[in-house]
Amino acid sequence: MYLVNDIIAFLAANLILSQALGTSTLFVAADSKRKLVGTACCITIFTTCGSIGAFMIRKLLPSEYADLTLLLYILMIGVLYVGFLTAAYFINQERFVNIRKYIHLSAFNCAVIGTLFTMDQKAANNPALFTMKEYVRFGFKAGIGFITAALILTAAFRKLNSSKVPSSFRGGPAILIYLGIISMAVYSLK
Amino acid sequence: MNERKTSIFDGILGDNAVLSGLMVISPVIICGNTVKTAEALICTFSAITFLSVLLGSFVPKKLPYTVKVIIYALISSIVYIPVREAAEKFYPDSITRIGIYFPLLAVNSLIILQSEAKFFRMKKPRMLASLTFYIIGFDAVMLLTAFVRELLAYGTIRSKMADVNTLISGLGEPFGGFIFLGLMCGLYRKIRSIARKEDNTRGDLNVSGK
Amino acid sequence: MLKKARKERLIWLDIMMTLLALALMSYFYYGIRSVALCGTCVAVSLAAEVVSLRLMGRKFKADDLTCTSDALILALMLPTCMDYSIAVIASLFSVIVAKNVFGGRKNMIFSPAAAAYVFILTSWGSKLLMYPEPHTKLGAFEKPETLVHSASYSFNISGKLDFTDFEVLLGNFSGPAGAVSILLLVISAIILIFRDDISAGAFLGSMIGTGLFAFIVPVGHSREDSLSYSLVTNMVLFASIYIIADRRIAPKREYFAIFYGLFVSIFAYTLVLTTAKENAIVIVSVLFTPVTLGFKNLEKKIALAEEEELLMAAKLVKSEETEPQAPAEEAIVNE
Repeated sequence: MYLVNDIIAFLAANLILSQALGTSTLFVAADSKRKLVGTACCITIFTTCGSIGAFMIRKLLPSEYADLTLLLYILMIGVLYVGFLTAAYFINQERFVNIRKYIHLSAFNCAVIGTLFTMDQKAANNPALFTMKEYVRFGFKAGIGFITAALILTAAFRKLNSSKVPSSFRGGPAILIYLGIISMAVYSLK
Repeated sequence: MNERKTSIFDGILGDNAVLSGLMVISPVIICGNTVKTAEALICTFSAITFLSVLLGSFVPKKLPYTVKVIIYALISSIVYIPVREAAEKFYPDSITRIGIYFPLLAVNSLIILQSEAKFFRMKKPRMLASLTFYIIGFDAVMLLTAFVRELLAYGTIRSKMADVNTLISGLGEPFGGFIFLGLMCGLYRKIRSIARKEDNTRGDLNVSGK
Repeated sequence: MLKKARKERLIWLDIMMTLLALALMSYFYYGIRSVALCGTCVAVSLAAEVVSLRLMGRKFKADDLTCTSDALILALMLPTCMDYSIAVIASLFSVIVAKNVFGGRKNMIFSPAAAAYVFILTSWGSKLLMYPEPHTKLGAFEKPETLVHSASYSFNISGKLDFTDFEVLLGNFSGPAGAVSILLLVISAIILIFRDDISAGAFLGSMIGTGLFAFIVPVGHSREDSLSYSLVTNMVLFASIYIIADRRIAPKREYFAIFYGLFVSIFAYTLVLTTAKENAIVIVSVLFTPVTLGFKNLEKKIALAEEEELLMAAKLVKSEETEPQAPAEEAIVNE
């Protein structure tokens, strides 16, 4: 019973459906189903690892230097970006060219940075959430939310790009309206 | 001469960042529901994007792509600091309402992706002109979206009451932003394709006239 | 192809007949206003369909009249006192945004009526969920003096309904104009299933899912009451016939359709049980669109695999016929 409510809560907190974070990335990745799911998985890794870094930065940064948060987050994600590229290269050199695309697309986008700032905002409103565990959990959940949105989009991918869709709405605009209607249904359940 | 002009002005109509490239759409969807918020967002977006791309153009082109992207993001996050301070003075209420979408402007696709793919391939004066029109293109869409959504969702224009009988409050919500932007994108593409068709027919007529 | 087109038209005709019967019933309960509301929705939808098809560069055909059945479904889900302006906006939304933007009736993603209902719910929720009492006859431009919550609302809150079974069957309780006439809906369902106009699998899946859960985890104290009232309130019956079992939306294969109906109804019932959300089934049907599309994608893949298998078998038979001397194993290797 409560699983249904958890699903609703999960959908209601979805990065894309409720906050439109990472929508641009979703469109860039929406070229193909594989790219979409690959990018979504990559973003999950970034949001999860990024949330660890964000927690550390928040903990160590004195409040009078709060203006530097974005700069430090960017620096941290930059380090992760290089780290993931290096790791991908050494793990599988043959598939590196393919994996590289997803990493490039996932590093600096609203989904990753937005997740970190959303978590900061939540922790500011409720200090009990200011723990490493909560940050990681939120980062992972946000990434899974992005994967969910990618799957929701993948299900309708063929129909939204079909030749039956008027050419002016084919692709992007149809995707926006499709996500809008799904988001509307989620909103009406809140 | 004519060809050069169209490519510079592309950012407004021909290749609008929001309607054509579907870039920087999160702030339009979430914050583009009142004109006042839109104004604050427009000013900060314009300042951050213009300064960041301008400063980013001095980054050596020979550096690897990854390093360049990190440097662009770092530049924009540095530019963000004074812009935020200025914005807090001019639009204190709106900045609070914009919330997390404010720092996100610093990692917008126009700075991170388009600068490398488009702007830095141009010569500087041309790049600046093109960038300005891309920014104006975003600003126009943002303002138009905010105006229509505020009017239809809340029945106000810049927080002043307007005479609207039936309010569609859902239009002020994120899903309303998605749907409205989707419809605007479709309409924009339709108008653009009609305009291009007309241009082609005119071009064909000129050629046959010759 | 011609047969398929003819079938589409017959389906529309059958559905329209049942919807018109429901509209007639709502006229008896609420007067001319319910008819005016249905007429407004149908006229606006038709006009929107004609204009949008023209903009899409397509001709309006008889099959495009399906927009009128969608409009009637929408109108029958609304309270009869709903503002005309809202009905107009919702009808435009259903035709343009929920249907034609995605390519119209040939490429349906959402049920237009369900999407439009959710749209009204998000913008005018308070107006949508307050109804006039039955037998409040309203003129075309009259508004009732008092509005009441629906019977579904009281059932979701208390688990009880203060109506006799006879009243429930005849639809003598407050609620959406067309979704309360239970007897008529049951007859419509039987007719539409036997004439193969709706997906029997999706309809049965939805009914079984709601019924099963209503019995296992009842809303109130009595399992019997929970079972019977869960099926007739919250537009479960109406939505199961006209939205969930809609052939354009539901998966084609019956066993997939059963699962689809089951998922939607169980999810919706749980929502009713835990949050007392009124008419949750309509919202869930929109929310489960990706699931339906997933089922349809799976169906396409299965059909493709079956087709390939048949083609392979045909090729094998052909090669065996042309080379009768060659051993069978060799022929397979060659293929």
